[in-house]
Amino acid sequence: MRSELIEPLVQLRELTYAEAAREALAQAMEADERVFLFGEDVGVYGGAFGVSGDLVHRFGKDRVIDTPISELGIAGAAVGAAITGMRPVLEIQFSDFVTLAMEQLVNQAAKIRFMFGGKASVPMVVRLPGGSGTGAAAQHSQSLEAWFAHVPGLKVLQPSTPYDAKGMLLAAIDDPNPVLIFEHKLLYKTRGHVPEEAYRVPIGQAAIRREGSDITIVGSSIMALKAQAAATRLAEEGISAEVIDLRSLRPIDFATIAESVRKTHRLMVVYEGVKTMGIGAEISAMIAESEVFDFLDAPIIRLGGADSPIPYNPVLEKAAVPQEDDIVAAAQNLVRRGGV
Amino acid sequence: MPVEVILPKVDMDMESGTIEAWHVKEGDHVRQGDTIFEIGTNKAVMEVEAPATGAIRRIRAETGVAITVGTPVAWIYLDGEANDAPTGRSAPAARATDTAHMASPLAVAEVTPVAAPASAGLRATPLARRVARQNGIELTSVKGSGPRGRISESDVISALASRSGPKDRVPQDGPAGCSGQSATILREAAAQGTLKPFSAIRRIVASRLTESMRTAPHFYLTSEIEMSAARDLLSRLAVRHERLSAPKPSLTVLIARIVARVLRDHPLLNASAEGEATRLRETIDIGVAMERDGDLVVPVLRDASGMDMLAMTREFSRLRDGVGKRSLTPAELSGGSFSISNLGMYGVDSFTAIINPPQSAILAVGRTLDKPVGRDGQIVLRPIANFTLSSDHRIVDGVTAARFMADLREALECPEVLL
Repeated sequence: MRSELIEPLVQLRELTYAEAAREALAQAMEADERVFLFGEDVGVYGGAFGVSGDLVHRFGKDRVIDTPISELGIAGAAVGAAITGMRPVLEIQFSDFVTLAMEQLVNQAAKIRFMFGGKASVPMVVRLPGGSGTGAAAQHSQSLEAWFAHVPGLKVLQPSTPYDAKGMLLAAIDDPNPVLIFEHKLLYKTRGHVPEEAYRVPIGQAAIRREGSDITIVGSSIMALKAQAAATRLAEEGISAEVIDLRSLRPIDFATIAESVRKTHRLMVVYEGVKTMGIGAEISAMIAESEVFDFLDAPIIRLGGADSPIPYNPVLEKAAVPQEDDIVAAAQNLVRRGGV
Repeated sequence: MPVEVILPKVDMDMESGTIEAWHVKEGDHVRQGDTIFEIGTNKAVMEVEAPATGAIRRIRAETGVAITVGTPVAWIYLDGEANDAPTGRSAPAARATDTAHMASPLAVAEVTPVAAPASAGLRATPLARRVARQNGIELTSVKGSGPRGRISESDVISALASRSGPKDRVPQDGPAGCSGQSATILREAAAQGTLKPFSAIRRIVASRLTESMRTAPHFYLTSEIEMSAARDLLSRLAVRHERLSAPKPSLTVLIARIVARVLRDHPLLNASAEGEATRLRETIDIGVAMERDGDLVVPVLRDASGMDMLAMTREFSRLRDGVGKRSLTPAELSGGSFSISNLGMYGVDSFTAIINPPQSAILAVGRTLDKPVGRDGQIVLRPIANFTLSSDHRIVDGVTAARFMADLREALECPEVLL
């Protein structure tokens, strides 16, 4: 009897984050011939971080296209393809290089649907490997998601698990709007359960990864994982932390955060992007402006990236972004001593 | 100039009131005549309307705290008016500082009550402020445990717990065998459960009835009265009322009508003790206890001895509707000279009521039940109800009350005597 109960659990299929994203791409391409991949080294090389892998062999060079090193060109071609009815999925090799594609993403992709009264739409997906922790220095380690979350007309996602990496990518490909997915480079090798069928994770819904009563910790991408690890340690010493994985920065699921803070009375926002003018400021302000203000029992805390380019020195690189220890210490201070 | 919103005087002898609930919040736009808050006097709850159209700013009165009549509680900024810095608040503080330098201890003593603006520098989290507001607790009296003395929710809860109860209930020294540990457990147990602040009406009821039990020595007389004639009379009146499209007469109204008539001959039961004197009331005003959302209210049938059943039924019906709609004025809910409480409809056989001060008596009516009684040497069933009179022994003696009860019995059992 026992083994029967346990066996199905053991048999849950696990994939890495990169494999989960690749499976989403493959399933979307199988289901819809308008879907094609586009980017630097996504073909024969399999992608800088191995996400596209063998897809060029499965779908051919017409649908998995290696491009010249020109982000502006890639993005512009994708916008054109999308307007004319295709479903391009492009990869910006390192999210830092998206600076070169800003015109096409911000001034064209985000605006066209509105400026043409809905007669045209731009159903494109941009995958952007980002974040620090790989010793890749200041031009290959940034977290620029907040820039795009500031632009109406774009959707900005940050999946933290292999399950979400697949489900959100499929939802993004379905979406008639330009969607940017920031994938943290350190997550690609993390493993987790991923169902085989083509499922969707709705865009704009945060996930409560752990329920708690003393403090709400909001993070996305790798910070959601660090927050969960910190919450486990905090629980050992009697602090009950609720962890919200934001998953989507635009649209943002403010209701879930508000409901949580109403319950816990304390809020910490953790994000790898530079702290100043970042998503933490937005979430803090949303809470401070809302009726939940009256339920705050401590100052709101932002743990964000240092006001500094990401250092090359690996010790300094680690120190420049919030780590599990930082989250634990800040939560202890907030819950035990009332914060600053 | 912004329009001042003051705590209005809604009743003749009102000196202070509490804001029970704000219907608007800082920055809300209101139109003249909109309800902006509810005020509780020591008698009733009233809605207060905006005196002008504009934006509500500088709300400075918390709910649940007693405020002197005439105190500004907010301002309405007309369209286009800038939200300038408050001027009223800093003035007393400055004065306090100035006078504090004076040598005379008298001057300092005089100034002390003005020191309220000390709360200006107070640190408290929004949640602490909210909880304090809800429980009517002054944050200035709470010690903050956070950085720089910031008050958090737990500080307010500790202050509440130490204020309300555990100290009273748990003996400080503890009886022999009551260890420190069990005292702690008791204290913790006392702090558990939900703390729900009194409503305005509940506060009034609590303070007035406590005062009544403390100052008026109560004694009680009970009579079993046969209700056959009263029932009969009610059913005949019902026919008349139906014909005149008047509300159906109730037993409570009939009792009030008969009591009002009987009281004419018993002035001491329609009176108040005032210091070392008895004030005989000129009119007979019958208060009838009613329930509203779990609260007790006592609307008054004014000058009841001059009303016939039809008029009284109509007036009673109007008051009862007004209670439900909260449309009665404080005057309609106070000033009775005698009260009646009827719990018969809830199946209560008999009970003793607490006198509604400053009245000298209250009549508690139980249910009417067929009971075996002896009549002409036979045991027969008759509808019987228990009437219990609570009297204030300072001005009513046993015989005085007994005579009233005898006349009441006679009038209820044979209403013709009132003709």
